[in-house]
Amino acid sequence: MKNNSTFLGTVQDVTGTTIRVAMVHDSLSGLTYVNGEGYRIGQIGSFVKIPIGYNYLFGIITQVGAGAVPENQIPSQPYGNRWITIQLVGEGQRAGEFQRGISQYPTISDEVHLVSEEDLKRIYGQPDKPYFVNVGHIAGAESIPALIDVNKLITRHSAVVGTTGSGKSTTVASLLNALSDTEKYPSSRILVFDIHGEYGQALKDRANIYKINADKSAGSVEKELLLPFWALNFDELCEVSFGKISNEKDYNTILERILSEKRKSLEKYPRKGLNTDTLNVDSPIPFSLNHLWYELYTQTLGKLYQDKEGKPLAYELDKDGNEIKGDPVNGLPPIFKKINSNGANGDRVQYQNESPLTNGQQLHSLGSKLRIPRFDFIFKPTDLTPKHDGDVDKDLDELLKGWIGSDKPITILDLSGVPITILNTIIGVLLRIIYDGLFWSRNLSQGGKERPLLLLMEEAHNYLNSEGSALSIVQKIVKEGRKYGIGTMIVSQRPSEINSTILSQCGTFFALRLSNSTDRGHITSAVSDNLEGLTSMLPILKTGEAIILGEAVKLPMRTFIKAPTKERRPDSQDPIVFDEVESKDSLRPGGWGNKMEEAPNYEEFIETWRAQNPKIERIIK
Amino acid sequence: MERKPVTSSNIASIGYDENTSTLEIEFLNNSIYQYFDVPQHIYQGLMQADSHGQFLAQNIKGVYRYSKV
Repeated sequence: MKNNSTFLGTVQDVTGTTIRVAMVHDSLSGLTYVNGEGYRIGQIGSFVKIPIGYNYLFGIITQVGAGAVPENQIPSQPYGNRWITIQLVGEGQRAGEFQRGISQYPTISDEVHLVSEEDLKRIYGQPDKPYFVNVGHIAGAESIPALIDVNKLITRHSAVVGTTGSGKSTTVASLLNALSDTEKYPSSRILVFDIHGEYGQALKDRANIYKINADKSAGSVEKELLLPFWALNFDELCEVSFGKISNEKDYNTILERILSEKRKSLEKYPRKGLNTDTLNVDSPIPFSLNHLWYELYTQTLGKLYQDKEGKPLAYELDKDGNEIKGDPVNGLPPIFKKINSNGANGDRVQYQNESPLTNGQQLHSLGSKLRIPRFDFIFKPTDLTPKHDGDVDKDLDELLKGWIGSDKPITILDLSGVPITILNTIIGVLLRIIYDGLFWSRNLSQGGKERPLLLLMEEAHNYLNSEGSALSIVQKIVKEGRKYGIGTMIVSQRPSEINSTILSQCGTFFALRLSNSTDRGHITSAVSDNLEGLTSMLPILKTGEAIILGEAVKLPMRTFIKAPTKERRPDSQDPIVFDEVESKDSLRPGGWGNKMEEAPNYEEFIETWRAQNPKIERIIK
Repeated sequence: MERKPVTSSNIASIGYDENTSTLEIEFLNNSIYQYFDVPQHIYQGLMQADSHGQFLAQNIKGVYRYSKV
């Protein structure tokens, strides 16, 4: 058997799935030839097979050399360089397919063989099945495509992790490109939560882009991102509008008022699926928050002429002598006269005896949000803004159709314009609306069960760490989304900051280079495969190289991700501090190597900040 | 703004708006920048220069402010 070029050695020790193998002497050259191709022997991460009867057992080399010597052999073999440690991963019939899990163990002096490229092809192969997507090729074997099972990738959730600059965005772009191939998957459905607005440019021909302050110039594909406040449930609405309500009486008052407004609206404009008996405060029914706010404001903070008949409201007068009554539609509060308790100084003006809310702080806070343009996407969502009686020009169906039912496979929700204080809540709300929608519509052709949705969450460590409304809904989605056709793909450079429940529910990992040991530990403990040897390779992976582990692949595979063409890569490149090429050849006008302009204009600098828009008005469309 | 394609080691096309004195440069990597308050003779100089990249580096970079579009 020593003539067989694939022969590595014999099994000497079996502990659970860990096998120790003594290598044969003559393979110590380190190189062997199988069918004319050279193979390095004993490379960490490479595969071996152990023939047992009609089956092969497959394993991965995790340790080579002195450390792999069994303890009682150390005195007799101090250098022990003929030992390797192997982790078993699965088995397959001689000519048949590879399967995870093993049904029998090897025993002492079973032969261990190198896995040749031909064997690898059989393990990983099947490129002709359309439910596999090709994301690159196996490291060390360019002819073998890296195939991923779409079914498991989407329904069992996945995570893409890697240090900044390890090729994370390229991997995501490559996956998105493969999954949005409309010839192969004519109704694929992917929703991208893009925190920094990186993906729009790269995917604009395959995606609808929803953005706050969308560029509406000709040729732009951006659409306005709207999230009408009346689609939020009561707690979410309070969080983004009134702020925290500590007083229980105030909380109940606001709840009752909103419920009563929703009831009035529903009575006047009946909507299918709900009637006034089944209505509750969380039901997505349009009502005018502006008028509700105005009434509460007037009743809580309004002052009255004590001596006039009927005690009318004591409005302050403007310079033309008109009463300043404010304007609910624009969020302008009325202004009242100062308190005057002495009749000698004119009409007596005093607060009302009974007011609905105990303090006016929340009303001031909401009033300012109703006026600030940054919040328009919630409180003044163009034709989704309810009129006084709750009438709206468009309903939520238009909104959801745009997000998950459009003609293009990908929808990008560009959240770069969302105020950072409410970003977490907004992501939570968006996810909840989508989850609720797909959950309840599960029997319909557009429901999640019939047309599953992939949610891609970029920079997930920002909002999936320890608290916030995004966390709880994502936990729910990773636990139960599978049954209703909602899959997630979590992308992060700090996996240790992601809640561990979420990470442990991810069935597939695309692990790129990870140098931080805490992050690596998190991944090692979250992956289902018993393969510490593989995850220990994470700090030395090349850029664009990933170890794909888990359910969507047959075996863990070290893969070179096929980078999409340049114009399809996301715009996450780091600023260049000093360009490598001379200024006359440089593709960048800035950096520390170029002189700065003679008269820097900080008015425009501030203009972008005030407008919360990186593009100044001066730019010619 | 309309840009004219040019042959250069780094610039793909150049455009100019006379009313606002705005110069628009598209680099070979498809990124587009607008330089503001650039006089017309500078634009003409850029178009006529033997090396557009060199003219840009010498006479425009470090003189006029710009924004990525």
